[in-house]
Amino acid sequence: MKYQSIIVEDLQVAADFLKRFCEKSGVVDVVHHFLNAEDALLFLKDNVVDLIFLDVEMPGASGFELLDQLLYTPQVILTTSKTEYAYSAFQYNVTDYLKKPFTYQRFLEAIQKVSKKTEQQNGNSDQDHMFIKSDGKLIRLHNDDILFIESMGDYVKFITPVKKYITHNTIKNLETKVNPQVFMKVHRSYIVNFTKINDIQENVLFINGNMIPISKTHKSGVMQKINIL
Amino acid sequence: MHNEQPKILFAYSPELDSDFLKDLYGEDLQQAEMVFESSVQQLRNELVLAGARFHDGDTAGLKKVVHKMKPLFGYIGLNEIIPEFAAFEEVCMKATHISEAEKGFNDITTITEQAIQKIEKEIRRLKQFNTQYL
Repeated sequence: MKYQSIIVEDLQVAADFLKRFCEKSGVVDVVHHFLNAEDALLFLKDNVVDLIFLDVEMPGASGFELLDQLLYTPQVILTTSKTEYAYSAFQYNVTDYLKKPFTYQRFLEAIQKVSKKTEQQNGNSDQDHMFIKSDGKLIRLHNDDILFIESMGDYVKFITPVKKYITHNTIKNLETKVNPQVFMKVHRSYIVNFTKINDIQENVLFINGNMIPISKTHKSGVMQKINIL
Repeated sequence: MHNEQPKILFAYSPELDSDFLKDLYGEDLQQAEMVFESSVQQLRNELVLAGARFHDGDTAGLKKVVHKMKPLFGYIGLNEIIPEFAAFEEVCMKATHISEAEKGFNDITTITEQAIQKIEKEIRRLKQFNTQYL
């Protein structure tokens, strides 16, 4: 498999350096290089990539601000000169974190991580259920039973037609783990089962009588996903 | 008997961090040549920009330029320069008037010009090696 990637990096030298490694690897195609996050976001609105090599500190929006606005979750390798972003990188669930300048060996290790994660995601995408830990038990929830998932700070609430389950997790973490064929993030605090959507009015959707906001950044993603005749 | 040609290795100049460069570029000396060339070009451009910001009395703008120049030294084996640039960024950030950044500006200008000279020399050596052996 060849990964379709983009580089978001304001330093041309760093981007050229990375492009060379991508070429050498034979498994990463660089489809575009952007000097800032804003241009990359415009591109990502209409294009899907497997992987983003993302600098953190850039003029204008930062790499993390770009991640906040993404409508879907490609794999991300952060490339930065500083180590102080490691904690944020962990929070954003990025695949790897490369401190510039990095060696070819270190680059290959990062690509191996991308490959492993891809395998895991492909395995997960066939899943029709998930296990959650709630009230001291592991509970099996079928995707079809879940209406939506709501953030409660460090906890999330799984809403089913008959019961609510609270578990220690975050929407950001769940976003990469739920089956993307069934679930989608519509707001920083909500992931919905879009087979359960009853109707959509402006920036709100309704599931089983529950009103769920759709954020501006996720609106076009929602509209693309639903089947409008 | 297997008669293998001995591998000819390139030795980086001692004024650069040669162990680091060997680790960074490995045997890909064409990449080293390409990155050294673009780093020098960018350092030259940024130095002109830094001069303009300094003469405009724009410490915030000067800090931005210096911030962009700093990581370039990491690609050319001159890592020891990076802390000096980081320190000058701090000076720019704290300066209430451009005069407070004057000494630092002169220092980083000299450092950059010396770095450019060293790297230009290394580019010539790399070019010669790459043409001869690759």
